[in-house]
Amino acid sequence: MGTQLFRYSEDNKEKFLESDNITFNDGSVVTPEEIWHYLTVEGPEKYPGSFEVNLYQGNRASRDETLPTSLKTHYLGLTFSDRMEKAKDRGKSIAFIQGGQAVDPYTAADTIALRPGLVNQWYGGLEHGNDINKANLRRRKSKEKAFHDMSFEACQTGGYEHVQEGDLRIDVIAPYTVLRCSDVSYGVEAHRHGPKKDVKLFNVDYPLRYQADKPWAIEYFAQNLRRLVGTLDEVTGRVTTEEDVTKAIQLHNEGRRLGTELAELWWSADVPPTNSADRASLVALGNLEVHGDVQASLSVLKEAKKFIAERVRNGVKGHAVIDNPKRIFILGSCVGINGSRSEDAGAIVVGRDDQWSHCTSLVEEEGDPYYNLAKTTLEYPYEQSIEKRAHWTIEQIRKSRADGVIFIHNWGCNTQAAVARPIVDIIKRETGIPTYIHELELGGLQHEQEQNRVNAFIEML
Amino acid sequence: MSIKTLEKVRKRLEERPEELKRAREDGRKVVGWVGYNVPEEIIHALGFIPVRIAVGGDDRLVEVGARYASSKTCVFIREIVGAFAENQDPFIQQTDFLAFDATCLQNYRAAEVIEYFFKKDVVVLGVPRNFDWDEAKQYFAHEANEFTRLLEERAEAPLDASRLAESVALYNDIRKTLKSIYVFQAAKDNVISWEEVYDLIQAGELLDKQEYLSLLQQTLAELQELQQNPVIEGDDGNSRLFISGSLIPRGDRKLIGIIKSVGGRIVGDDLWSGILPHLDLDIKEISPAGVALAYLNRTPHAALPYLDLASDKRLKKLHELLSESKAQGVIYHTLRYCDPFTFKAKETKNVLAKSGIPLLEIHTEYAGSDYEAMKTRVEAFVEMIKIKSEITEEEGVLADA
Ligand code: SF4
Ligand code: SF4
Repeated sequence: MGTQLFRYSEDNKEKFLESDNITFNDGSVVTPEEIWHYLTVEGPEKYPGSFEVNLYQGNRASRDETLPTSLKTHYLGLTFSDRMEKAKDRGKSIAFIQGGQAVDPYTAADTIALRPGLVNQWYGGLEHGNDINKANLRRRKSKEKAFHDMSFEACQTGGYEHVQEGDLRIDVIAPYTVLRCSDVSYGVEAHRHGPKKDVKLFNVDYPLRYQADKPWAIEYFAQNLRRLVGTLDEVTGRVTTEEDVTKAIQLHNEGRRLGTELAELWWSADVPPTNSADRASLVALGNLEVHGDVQASLSVLKEAKKFIAERVRNGVKGHAVIDNPKRIFILGSCVGINGSRSEDAGAIVVGRDDQWSHCTSLVEEEGDPYYNLAKTTLEYPYEQSIEKRAHWTIEQIRKSRADGVIFIHNWGCNTQAAVARPIVDIIKRETGIPTYIHELELGGLQHEQEQNRVNAFIEML
Repeated sequence: MSIKTLEKVRKRLEERPEELKRAREDGRKVVGWVGYNVPEEIIHALGFIPVRIAVGGDDRLVEVGARYASSKTCVFIREIVGAFAENQDPFIQQTDFLAFDATCLQNYRAAEVIEYFFKKDVVVLGVPRNFDWDEAKQYFAHEANEFTRLLEERAEAPLDASRLAESVALYNDIRKTLKSIYVFQAAKDNVISWEEVYDLIQAGELLDKQEYLSLLQQTLAELQELQQNPVIEGDDGNSRLFISGSLIPRGDRKLIGIIKSVGGRIVGDDLWSGILPHLDLDIKEISPAGVALAYLNRTPHAALPYLDLASDKRLKKLHELLSESKAQGVIYHTLRYCDPFTFKAKETKNVLAKSGIPLLEIHTEYAGSDYEAMKTRVEAFVEMIKIKSEITEEEGVLADA
């Protein structure tokens, strides 16, 4: 039997064409017509894997086609690789960053900031015509290079496999290091022995332990951010002013505000207005970095709020959401569960702490922008002590009315794994909600066994 | 030939837990410290008794620790967490509170987990990763002051500058004497082995510092009497090995035992449980910040990233120590999930290869199941070094002929 492919139905075309354009950083615009054409003609040819009906990868035979935002985020995802290539051709600077951090200083310095997942997405999109298995095989092969040059216990390799092989034109590796990730600083360091000497390396040193209350720690981190911007400027050849940084903060605050409002709107609904995957891609827009184009994310985000408000008002239920699903809140870095299969098992994902933590952290707009950024970053709820992080998480769990909590960590993620048990311990103690710790295999296709464990938990709920 | 003082050290170690117990009954407090940049002199000068919590080699405790800190945490930290969970270790039992640093993220996480599950009072010292920056030094100076403030609170007394000067002088003497002793183990016709010196270094993590200095001085006097002029020679007929990589704490002697059993001779190390922390510690100013900065200015720990390979102080120090000890090969020990060292294994191997020094990475944990596999690899490595040095020797003879 051949692979079954999903296709957008012409029935929804007319409604979709009424939606807004997407405006990009460089001022260019893409119309709904162009998006529709891409999603129905060009996209399926280039990236059949993305249209492949494969429940293991969360690809259903039908999608929420009446939610224009869902189509637009799909479009932005599919065009990601091409857009990054074009940005490079135009001389745009690109930085490798860490997940879980905001990108205000990079935006200020006119640099596209890509977290590990996006770097992989860029690489993945460079080859056309792959189905899911082929794309995964290619990803794994490339990771082997990093494992070989570093450690097979590595989770995060700092983009080493792509940059050092010359596959991706990344100019600077400059993540906030240590913030939540055990591996990233070693990944950055590894580049020093790779063949590519022209890639700049920079560690934005995120100090640890109750640092948000220490003026000297805030000042040190602010100094890291100043030096970061200096390094980014060395690549672009421009001079970023404090005013640029303040403007970037204002822009990102707008995204964070909208993202937070959107999530709260979603939570306020009696019936989930979207399914898990759509919720995740909507809320992810709040940090504005998810599609490698801040303005594009912002324009889709603004429109999304309108659609969700309408659905909430009219009591519309998201696509493929069952009645009274068990509401799951996910904890842990760089991870998630298979939304559609979990939905089929009777659940829905109503929130995550990762990404959400910094989306909810607004930066003060008056005064020294570096100091303000540093202060807020050191206050990220996700990065606080076990108790503080757990208490913030409990608040989110309550707001989202979750029935169960899954703490997931990747196989090689020591930092998150180490605190999984105490955090779920507190949550269980203080909310009585069932919790479950789940370990994900590193970077592979999602396995039946993994889903079985999740399903067993859902069943127990 | 045996050094009599070493016997004394062993005996004093056995008596030490009881002694700590009595000291606590007399109102003294014991501080268990865990980490790589904890400025011990400050703890000592405040009248606390510092003991380093560094235990290894017990797979059962690793299992216990995994229940609290996950099975993905490094073996060393898992065992420490397990040891706190069981509370059977005679030194851990005697600790009043703990001092950790954030050099290694996993170490830091252990502090959080131990604090949470075992309700231990923990003081944590932040450590900058961009350690060579002036701003990082300023940050660390503040952290040292804050660390001191937290200790003062627990001591219910301020830190006295003259007491700190005394502690610094004492620790300086210890370091100086250790360095002198260390030369003897690498010498030709050595009267003390590296293993004995290694145990001696680790004894200092637990014994009273004043007494420890005196024991070191007695050891040195004995050594000087037995071997007036220790000379380190490269071609002494042994496979001269150097150990690098993840720490090897008390209780873990698996790899060291294997090396010995296959005829390898260890002549040096740059382990954080060995001589390295005692080297290049130059305290320029008697103040908490002065002491802490001297710690940070040593050879950096592998958990602190450094982005320029050519000027990396860790690799420079490794080369320097290899040349001093005239080692012919490096056994690079990496513990399961010890990212700071495993990430650098291949790189270190490649760097050393340029100087013609072979490196064997041994990736292991505390279980005994890999013993035979490790032994086979170490044996082959030792053999390879022997053959290599025989060939070099023959070539030398031919060249001379
Ligand atoms: S899963 Fe953990 S180790 Fe891996 S990239 Fe994310 S934070 Fe880092
Ligand atoms: S350096 Fe290695 S052994 Fe030491 S605490 Fe860190 S991960 Fe564990």
